[in-house]
Amino acid sequence: MPPSVSAEQELPLSDAPPMSGEASEGALRPLLARRLVIVTGKGGTGKTSVASALALAAARSGRRVALLETGRAEHAPRLFEPAAAPVGYEGRDLLPGLRARRIEPYAALTEYLRSELRIPGIVTRVLSNPGFRQLMDAAPGWRELITLGKVWHLREAQDDGRPTWDLIVVDAPATGHGLVFLDVPRVVVSAVRAGPLQRHAGWVEAMIKDPRDTLLLPVTLAEELPARETAELVARLRGEIGVTVDRVIVNALPDAPFPASLGALDARLAALDLPTGVAGLPSASALAQCTRHLRERYELGQEYLGRVREWTGLPTTCLPYLTGGVRGIDDLARLAEALVDGEPTR
Amino acid sequence: MSGDLHRLLAERRIVVCVGTGGVGKTTVAAALALAAARQGQRSLVVTIDPARRLADALGLAELGNEPHALPSDRLVALGAAPDARMEAMMLDMKRTFDDLVQRFAPDEASVERILANPIYQHVSDALAGSAEYSAMEKVYELSEREDLDLIVLDTPPSQHALDFLEAPERLIGFLESRVVQVLVHPAFAGARLGFRLFQRGVQQALRLIERVSGMGFLEDLSEFLLSIEGMSEGFRERALSVRELLFGSGSAFVLAAGPTVESVAMADGFLDRLVESGADVRALVLNRVRVWPESEALPDPDSPAAVAALADALGDASDEAAVAALRAARSYVGLVQQDAMATEKLRGRAAQSGCEVCVVPEFSRDVHDLDGLARVASHLCPNDRPND
Repeated sequence: MPPSVSAEQELPLSDAPPMSGEASEGALRPLLARRLVIVTGKGGTGKTSVASALALAAARSGRRVALLETGRAEHAPRLFEPAAAPVGYEGRDLLPGLRARRIEPYAALTEYLRSELRIPGIVTRVLSNPGFRQLMDAAPGWRELITLGKVWHLREAQDDGRPTWDLIVVDAPATGHGLVFLDVPRVVVSAVRAGPLQRHAGWVEAMIKDPRDTLLLPVTLAEELPARETAELVARLRGEIGVTVDRVIVNALPDAPFPASLGALDARLAALDLPTGVAGLPSASALAQCTRHLRERYELGQEYLGRVREWTGLPTTCLPYLTGGVRGIDDLARLAEALVDGEPTR
Repeated sequence: MSGDLHRLLAERRIVVCVGTGGVGKTTVAAALALAAARQGQRSLVVTIDPARRLADALGLAELGNEPHALPSDRLVALGAAPDARMEAMMLDMKRTFDDLVQRFAPDEASVERILANPIYQHVSDALAGSAEYSAMEKVYELSEREDLDLIVLDTPPSQHALDFLEAPERLIGFLESRVVQVLVHPAFAGARLGFRLFQRGVQQALRLIERVSGMGFLEDLSEFLLSIEGMSEGFRERALSVRELLFGSGSAFVLAAGPTVESVAMADGFLDRLVESGADVRALVLNRVRVWPESEALPDPDSPAAVAALADALGDASDEAAVAALRAARSYVGLVQQDAMATEKLRGRAAQSGCEVCVVPEFSRDVHDLDGLARVASHLCPNDRPND
């Protein structure tokens, strides 16, 4: 790929003052000015869609972006193209400048041990040893650590003296396990007494806590359970893990079903006596019920949007509800636009 | 159809509620427990999810590692018989794992040695994986309670739910693995050539870990394995019992899914893996489905006749409100059609596996209290009392 540096890419990276992204004065550091964005949230909130949309926005602005999935199955490639084949550990360019990869822990471990020990024969033999596999299958924590280690490695990678990836987007595990995911380096640093593992875990921990270049992006829905869980997540992420969180993404927020100027339209509909047999005209009760449902869903969304802001103390960026889900790059582009255009709302 | 779910709750001792994230799985689990209570049973709903969804769903601020009974007057108000009971709990993984050590360690000194071991602290510090081991243990303990008719088990979202189900086997596999044997009994190795070769491989592997990890790690690991050795028989028996419990005839699985395209695709794959693993999947609950009565005309904001008739009935000089209402209704039907397509797909899939499909409509408010749970329960088990 030709090294293309666009003007908009240079500006935020060189001119923006370092800031923590906490509730600071003025504009927040733009999402695309970060080097590492870790996307997490309660299951089903659309983490992968948000991560993919962010990667798309970055690629379209001329950045080179790595989109990393951490689960056992791949979901991101099919959001770009429904028939996409899996990209695997080595990954594939989904678009010019956008490489998708799935960080498979054993592949990352093999790569790590090879680079550490420089005796490929032994590494291969050891990793194919069934005893070793049994030990590793049962051992907790290392998958998280090696995955984050690979993220660190990609962040450090350089081509011709500049970073290979301008932005790395990580689609992290869902909330509960997401916290564990980010906490492992700290636990390892404190539990392992010395040696390369301790040193490397320290590097990974420092990367997670980097207030300038690393951002954790929580994704939620404007509903009771996800909103509460997000508030809890944000508090623990900032407190225990020490990662920067500067906004919350509220995904799939319902639009107002009809203009506010029409007032209580659904109530008016309920009281009507409508003729039957008119093409395209349902009964008054059906019209009233579904418009009421949409209005209540909309109001609920607005209510919980306010609560997300109040409970987390963070501004929000809202993404539209897409009927039929994300069915390709055009849908992702709609999310991408909402994600990076404009400031989050306080 | 729904009679099947009544029977399921009445006949099985354990119902495991599995599913992908964000589909209201915890809500479904709690609603099943409530439906059982409404059938006059004594039920318990357990979540092992580290997030506090069940606490939210039940409107309870604190859920400890012990079951907490719901106020019986509330239950009666929700349609339960006076002698019915419903309890809820959320597992505290760390405490459960400590309990496990207390129970199986041969003596008090071992307990202390294990609890102080840095590797144990690793394992038990809610690091991924260990939570499932300890959850299994608690499930078994609860199943021994004779004053419960039904235990509904909530599970973590899809990726981890299978970890959870496979935890007993993984634990046995690990404890019986030769690598553990070699670590625990390095001197015992001599006997057979095969074993010696194996041991050499393991030692090589361990030297490698040691080089990367630093010296302390291995020492701690072998000490940890030595100290749990006395416990392994207890672990093994317990793990096998849990396996029998979850995959035996007293248990059934309910898969929860949402009506979105993504959720249905995930549920499909999930069902395959569940059936493969030997789980008896009896029902598929499709949650938050939007519906449109078949007898109703499809709203059409572009039909001049419809717009005119509606504006006329509203008594409006302008078409604005009529068009807005028909547009909103049209967009709603779009959602209904999306959900119907997803539902059809899942019905076909469920028919292949011989399990029942229950559709729970979307409510305009989220379900996060007992009244909401009661509404979900009414859709899962429409008649409060089966013909018994």
